[in-house]
Amino acid sequence: MDGIHDLGGMHGFGPIPIESQDYRFKHDWQRRAFGIVQAVAGNTPYVADQHRYKIEQLSATDYLTLDYFEKWITATSALLKDARLVNDQELATGQKEFDVDLVNHPAVSADDLLSAMKIGADYQFPTNSQPQGFAIGTRVRVRSDSPQGHTRVPRYVRGKFGTVLATEGVFQHADSVAAGQGRNPQHCYLVSFSAAELWGSSVEQADDDILLNLAESYLEPM
Amino acid sequence: MQDNLSDDHHHDPIEEGAALRVRALEELLIAKGLVKAEAIDAVVEYYEKETGPRNGAQVVARAWCDPDFKAWLLKDGTAAIHSMGFKGYQGEHMRVVENTNDTHNIIVCTLCSCYPWPVLGLPPAWYKGAAYRARVVREPRAVLAEFGLDLPASQKVRVWDSTAEIRFMVLPQRPPNTGNLSQAELADLVTRDSMIGTAVL
Repeated sequence: MDGIHDLGGMHGFGPIPIESQDYRFKHDWQRRAFGIVQAVAGNTPYVADQHRYKIEQLSATDYLTLDYFEKWITATSALLKDARLVNDQELATGQKEFDVDLVNHPAVSADDLLSAMKIGADYQFPTNSQPQGFAIGTRVRVRSDSPQGHTRVPRYVRGKFGTVLATEGVFQHADSVAAGQGRNPQHCYLVSFSAAELWGSSVEQADDDILLNLAESYLEPM
Repeated sequence: MQDNLSDDHHHDPIEEGAALRVRALEELLIAKGLVKAEAIDAVVEYYEKETGPRNGAQVVARAWCDPDFKAWLLKDGTAAIHSMGFKGYQGEHMRVVENTNDTHNIIVCTLCSCYPWPVLGLPPAWYKGAAYRARVVREPRAVLAEFGLDLPASQKVRVWDSTAEIRFMVLPQRPPNTGNLSQAELADLVTRDSMIGTAVL
């Protein structure tokens, strides 16, 4: 979707608020928020692209002003609501109003959650399981589609020409997964774009490169 | 102030906004049986204590000391990094990109905040913020200058935008005059920002 989250190349955000120390939670509620989002992902269930899509649907004002982990919690609350595991009244008060089916939505144990986090998610399919439309070295154009749903094509590369530098293998398709339409596996490519192609006469240095991983269906041959 | 300890849902009066919402959500999910408090504790402790840029620093130092490992790391970052035990969520697929005298690499996620958790930990706030995400793809050299890094025009900048499941990590150049240091001592020199690409060593 063409939302505020798609920030690449926008003007007007000022200097980077640099902090040099490694990440620390500043508030205990951020710790809890981070943990809750991980702990209920498996039993709600939702995956990263669904969570990202909920965050993208925040109002532009909220997106730019809410704390990062508050956005996470808002998205998780919306996913829990979609799964009919909580309602608005419960979210407002923190008090339970109805029981849920714990056979189909069992709470994860600490051990199982940690081991799942240490293994990671499964995104990939066998490389030969899908046709590969583009060879390394091919010039490609990014389709100029502007879907209303979740997509992993930033606006700043749409319609732009790039070169396939590598094939990454076959992965689930974020757009399909976020829409609840299955995994729709397809090849993923590493595509390089020259800064001059992306930014025209306002480019900072023409021969710098920007590289993105893009799915088969995002690309068309030249 | 009235403090009714028999009320399970009394809240600290200074607790408000996000803090209150998160506490309400945690209490609700525990009451419903959907989450265990100890699972939240465990995952937070893991990311606060066991992951972080010290992991990535070990990968970098080993690559500096072991040419075969470095070749493997650059060819198949996923396998090389996983072989050191640094695997898991947001590090399932890794591509490591090498800084040289000719090329300087820098990573970003313009659409959200994708970041290689197993090797770098959780991302700094600025990495997740609007200014970095908006600007680094358009004016990487101006952004790098804010980090105190002025690159010569002869050194190409490559910006890696994390738009799929592959996570990127920069292999910084080994600092000069470090030939006498052990691998462990070298790892101590490697900073988080050098593996994001907003610093050199």
